[in-house]
Formats: sequence, structure tokens, C-alpha cells
Amino acid sequence: MSARRPSLPLRLGVHAAVYLAAATMVFPFLWMVLTSLKTDAEALSPEFSLLPESPRWSNYAEAWTSVELGRFCVNSFLVASVTTLLAGAHNTLAGYAFAKLRFGGRRMLFLLTLATMMLPIQVFFVFAYLIADWAGYVDSLQGLIVPFLASAFGIYYMRQAVAGVPDSLLEAGRLDGMSELEMLWRIVRPTVWPAIAALGIFTFVASWNSFFWPLILIDSRDHKTMPLAIAELSAGIYVHSWPVRMAAATILTAPLVLVFLAFQRAFVRGVALTGLKE
Amino acid sequence: MMRRESASAYGFLAFPLAVIFVFTLVPSVAGLLLSLFVWDGSGWPVFVGTRNFQALAADARFWPALRNTLAYVAGTVPATVVLGFLLAAAVHARWFVGKTLCRTVFFLPTIVAIVAIGFVWRWVLNDQAGLAPSMLRAIGVTPPNLLQEGPWPMISIVVVSIWRGVGFCMVLYLAAMSNVSESLYEAAEVDGASRAESLRYITWPQVAPMTAFLAVTGVIGALQVFDIVLVMTTAEVESGSTNVLNWYVYREFKAGRYGYAATLGAVVFALTLAATLAQLRLMRRSHA
Repeated sequence: MSARRPSLPLRLGVHAAVYLAAATMVFPFLWMVLTSLKTDAEALSPEFSLLPESPRWSNYAEAWTSVELGRFCVNSFLVASVTTLLAGAHNTLAGYAFAKLRFGGRRMLFLLTLATMMLPIQVFFVFAYLIADWAGYVDSLQGLIVPFLASAFGIYYMRQAVAGVPDSLLEAGRLDGMSELEMLWRIVRPTVWPAIAALGIFTFVASWNSFFWPLILIDSRDHKTMPLAIAELSAGIYVHSWPVRMAAATILTAPLVLVFLAFQRAFVRGVALTGLKE
Repeated sequence: MMRRESASAYGFLAFPLAVIFVFTLVPSVAGLLLSLFVWDGSGWPVFVGTRNFQALAADARFWPALRNTLAYVAGTVPATVVLGFLLAAAVHARWFVGKTLCRTVFFLPTIVAIVAIGFVWRWVLNDQAGLAPSMLRAIGVTPPNLLQEGPWPMISIVVVSIWRGVGFCMVLYLAAMSNVSESLYEAAEVDGASRAESLRYITWPQVAPMTAFLAVTGVIGALQVFDIVLVMTTAEVESGSTNVLNWYVYREFKAGRYGYAATLGAVVFALTLAATLAQLRLMRRSHA
């Protein structure tokens, strides 16, 4: 931007405003963790106190056992990782076909795929549920995975990425007698790896946080995922103690937050910029 | 050669497209048609023509749900986009210290599940011992019950949604701003433009395609608001004061009124379609 530096008071004012706003981004999460270490009496006391008198770690043990958090974490992790791996493979296969292969109906199929991107879930979930029911997927983890094994957005994104691979590379492979699958694996995959990784992070976060479809599909506690558990915690199912509920919420949100903080560049690229690549 | 290519293509596409057709495309077409039927999931649907839509017009729960949803869209989208723009403009300035840190911190709520966000804010705002009400009381203000009284639940939901969304807009605006040519600013400087003028007459128009993108994807997302309403105001959404379209769809589905749920779904689809077409027009104009 401008090479001129604005006056010192203006610069200080802008910094103060931005950092104050930044503090409000962190504070609710900090408050969650602080509450999780308090006693019920401390948490509900009308007197404001930032820190607990002595941190009550037993809230975490209580949250872990009374809410059976382990199961929810395992379910969420299983669903999100299987979805991410398989959807990544399928979207790349389809993206490659649309970008580099010639076949009848290519344009029509691609447009049809794109058109499904603007269908809101409210329109299709009733019959998607009935189809899942017919396939025996209701109240099962398969039901949370199978409908997401490919996505219109993922295919579109991979098509754009693969389109950037030079045709000459593929011609060379073809002359060497490689099959399409070999070319995809040996030439395309290494070239578009950053796009595959970005889409993978996007898919993982979306699957890990998804709520509406699991809410409709899953009934039994054994198959619930992390967001369903949080909604039930919020509604006061399992436990009433706010500190214990906050301990549970901390355990459920911490894994992804920690991974995000460790790899924030990749996450920003994956979650935000994935939507943008022209 | 050509034959091998198309055989591979159909092979690669078969499963991914089957997933999309079976779980999105076919159910959507069937869902839109279902809005013309009455059906509880057993037996054959009964064709009723437009009667579901007539019932909608006379439905005392539909209009508040539609109004709340549109108020949510109007309350969240413009504020989120504008705040995201201003934050990006501030952080993008060369003299700003801590750009990466700020980007990380503002982006944090984007990766946290909306249900978790709603739950934490429910605790912060709760009337009994919540942080926000007790701080207000400490400075001598008696706050209304922010999650239950009058228009406050909806206002709280809107504010929390803006809070969650600004970081996403900021990151995308930062990407757009880094593509604006330096020479434009230099030229403006030579012409004696103030910093505010540069922001208004160079940055803002240069990132207009991003604004169109954020506004329309924001509207489409906001039309489907559900998670945060359910988690922050479990009781109020039942009683109707924070009822939104998607919640109403969900209730009707759970009650086994599939035809009526599909009718409400068709309304959401019509609104989404309108927003998408508006985007296409906006984009065309911003490119012209």
C-alpha cells in the first residue's frame, strides 16, 4: 500500500483497534478454558474472578468419563479422515478426467456437476435420508461418509488445478506407454500436490465440524460425532455443571485448534483460499 | 487412442458422479417435486398441486421464520464483509506490526465448529453468571436477558455470527489486496489523494470481485443458518422467537410432514437461486 507512513497517533490508534478486536477473538475460548478449571460455586458466583482459586483438573476427568468423550472423538476422527482420504482420491480422478481427457458428454456432465453446487441441503436432505435409509446407512458411520466421498466443489477445484499441468508432460508420459492411471499417479499427483493438500484440509475441517446431516442421520449415542455431543452438552444433556461442560467443550475443540495453530499457513490456504483459485 | 481415453474418463468419473447424482442431484429433483405432494414417508405421496404453498402463505409460523432468516442475512452479511475489509486494509498496511499473528487470531473461529462457538457464547452471555451480563452489571447497567428477552436472542446470534465471520472475509480480502498494483497507489499519491481516498477510490473498487464473491456466498450460507440458532437458543427456537427457515424445515421433517418440509426447502432454494443470479449480474458488472 502507500509508501507514506501516517502520523504516529493514527498508527497507534489503528493498532489498538485491531489488537482489541483480536483480543475478543481469543477471549471466549480463554474464558472456556478458565471456566473449565473452576468449581461450580466459583463459576456461578456473581463476583467476577478471572482465574480459579486453584485449578480443578478433576473437571476434565469427570467430563471424560461422564460424557464418554473418547467415543465422540474417535467417531469424528474416523469419519473425517476416511472422508478426506477417499474424497481426495475421487475428486482428483474426476478432476483429471474433466481437465485432460476427451470423451462424449464432457461439457454436459461438468455443467451438471457444477449446477449441484448451488443446491442447498434443505432441498435434498429428505430424499438423501430416504436413500440412506434404503441403503441401511441410517444411524451408522458409513452414512456420514458415503454421501461425501466426492463433491462437486472438490471436483471443480481439482479440475482447475489439473488444467494447469502442461500437456507436454502428459504427452511425454503417453509416448512412454503409461496408462492414464499411471500418468495421474506419477505425473499429475506430484505436480498438483499443494492443491490436493489444500482441498484435504478443507474437506477434513468441513467433515469434522459438520452438523445438520449427522443430526438427521444419527440416533444412538454410540455413533454420535463431536458437534452432536457439543449440541447436547449445550442443551444440558449429560451434565449440568458448567465447568464440567466447559471442560468437555475444551477437549472436543482442542485437537483441531492445536493442529491449526501448528500449521496455520496450510490451514488458511486450505480453508479460505481453496474457494478462490481461478 | 481416443477410445482408451474415453474409457478411462468414464471409469474415473463413474463413482464420483454416482455419489453426487445419488445423494444430491436426484434427491434435489425429487425434493422439489415433493413440494407438490403430501407425504408422511409411508405409502404413496398424495398430489395436492400448490396447496402446500397456499398453506405456507397462511402459516403463522412461516412468516416469522422467513422474517428472522432475512433479518439474519441483512444483519450479518454486510457488517461481516465491511468489517473484514477494514481489518484487512489495516493489517495490509506496510507499517502494521504483527500481520501474520493477526491473521491467525482472526481466522481461529473459522475452523472451530459453529456448535462449539454457539456453546461458548451461550456461557459468556447467559443471564445467571455469564461474563458479559456480569461485566455490564459491574458498571451499573442492568442488561436484558440476552438469550431470551424480546429481540435480544436474535441480536446476540447476529453479533456472534459477525464475530465468527470477519476473519474469513479478512483473509480473503488480504489475498485480493496483495494483487492490487502498487503503481495505482503511487499515481494517486502524486495526485494528492488522502489515505482515506486511496482506500475508497482504489482499494475498494479493485477488490470489488472479492466483495461480490463474499457477499453472495455469505448470503447463501446465511440463508441456511441453523447450528448457531439451535445451540444458543434451544428453548427460544422451539417457542418461535428465533425460529429460522432451516429450523422449521428440520421440525417438519422430524414430525413426518415430508411434503411440507419440501415446500419450505423449495423456498430456501428459490432464495438461494435469486442470490446466485444476483452474483452473476454483479460479477458481469464489475468486469465491465
